[in-house]
Amino acid sequence: MQREEKQMEMTLDAILSRLNDLKMSIGGMIQKLETEYEIINWPTFLDNFAIISSHLTGLSKILAKEVCPPLRNRTVLPLMLSQDRDESLINLTQGRVPVFSHDIVPDYLRTKPDPITEQKLIQGEQKAANLTAEVAMKQVTQYNKVVSHVLDMVCKAREEWEIESSTRAGIQQTSSMADTHALVSAVGMGKGLKANVSLNVATGSANMMVPPLRASAPMTSVSPGGVGQINKAPSGIKTNIKPAMQVHQFTR
Amino acid sequence: MQMTQITNSKELLSTALQSRIIPNQEFLLQGSILDSAVDHLIHRLRGLCDTVDASPEQFHDLEVCLSLRQPTQTAPLMLRVRRALDRDSPFQLRYIGQPELDRSRPTLVRSSIDVGCTSTILDFLTELGCRLDFEYVSRGYIFRKGRMKITVSKIKAVPGKQQEIGSETVSQSYLVELSVLAPNGQDSIGDEMRIFAEQLKPLVQLEKIDYKRLGGLP
Repeated sequence: MQREEKQMEMTLDAILSRLNDLKMSIGGMIQKLETEYEIINWPTFLDNFAIISSHLTGLSKILAKEVCPPLRNRTVLPLMLSQDRDESLINLTQGRVPVFSHDIVPDYLRTKPDPITEQKLIQGEQKAANLTAEVAMKQVTQYNKVVSHVLDMVCKAREEWEIESSTRAGIQQTSSMADTHALVSAVGMGKGLKANVSLNVATGSANMMVPPLRASAPMTSVSPGGVGQINKAPSGIKTNIKPAMQVHQFTR
Repeated sequence: MQMTQITNSKELLSTALQSRIIPNQEFLLQGSILDSAVDHLIHRLRGLCDTVDASPEQFHDLEVCLSLRQPTQTAPLMLRVRRALDRDSPFQLRYIGQPELDRSRPTLVRSSIDVGCTSTILDFLTELGCRLDFEYVSRGYIFRKGRMKITVSKIKAVPGKQQEIGSETVSQSYLVELSVLAPNGQDSIGDEMRIFAEQLKPLVQLEKIDYKRLGGLP
């Protein structure tokens, strides 16, 4: 509880200082407009605007921060209204608010909506009051129709999207873990590639020179495109002839 | 005179290592794509990578893995020799260290040293006592994005005499590798790679895979 209060205090301090900054920059702007309106140029004017807007951004950042306790949960209650001039209030507001009366409280404490909003609300209410029951019903059904139509469209789109994503999940099988492992162990350890080698070693283990022979023979036997050819028609003759043919190439 | 030169070059190497200008670490992510979807992946990579306007660069390599058994160590030293089959370029000798699967890192990291060689490298290694372990042909496409290298390749066994007909391809997928070679201490590249790998999802799941944990040899 105490921590919360502390946090609240800190937030209020931060907001207050930001507000002061904002006030000062607005004041500066007004002063500039009043005293230097003849020599002020666009860039300076816009700079001033930029300063004000940056202060506003900072303020909204503080309000949007998660550590900031939700201020809207707090209520401000006017405890006493009076028609008399209040000197301390005048001092506090720098001469802007002389009286804390029922006239200004709704505006300052936001107990009533913005004038523009209020106006719009009144307009809407008037419009609603002027409608006959029949017309109202008609409009309601029309509105429902439009809404259901939109709902239909959204549902259809969602269905299509789901079908697409499900089929995409089907296509998604573009790689196979088993194949990855087979390939990686083949490249890394020669798994699945060693079969012929071990045979060779077994048959010629007495001969020290067997492995190198095997090593150099394929170096010559596989030429560009050679593997592809062998794949297509792996006949014994072709593979046997290849090394002989390619020896020239290698020694050239 | 010669001795001083050798010490000089050794010193040069150590200073180079200390000043971290030798790219000796490989950051790696691996995955695969089914043959049927490889065009789709190529299309996407063409859009994502630096070579947008040109057609994707192709490669066709033979990689031979040799091992040298040392009496003092249980694990043999593995060396790889790579040779381009589609063009006349130098052989490449490659050492790859043990993969570090640090959980905090977004990619697999392993030490890696690449050296260009002449064609006599195989004879030389054989004389040293290296034995052929296995070999394969990889054929596919290579893409670049900044320092990142992306390869999409088909792994095939080298057709030998004992090879069964039709069993050359290792699987029905292309191997996809995303790698960067960088000097020590440039770990930030891992995040860059992770972001790029995200962009290839769900086509390809690029992950750090320790092949040693994928079960023993057959």
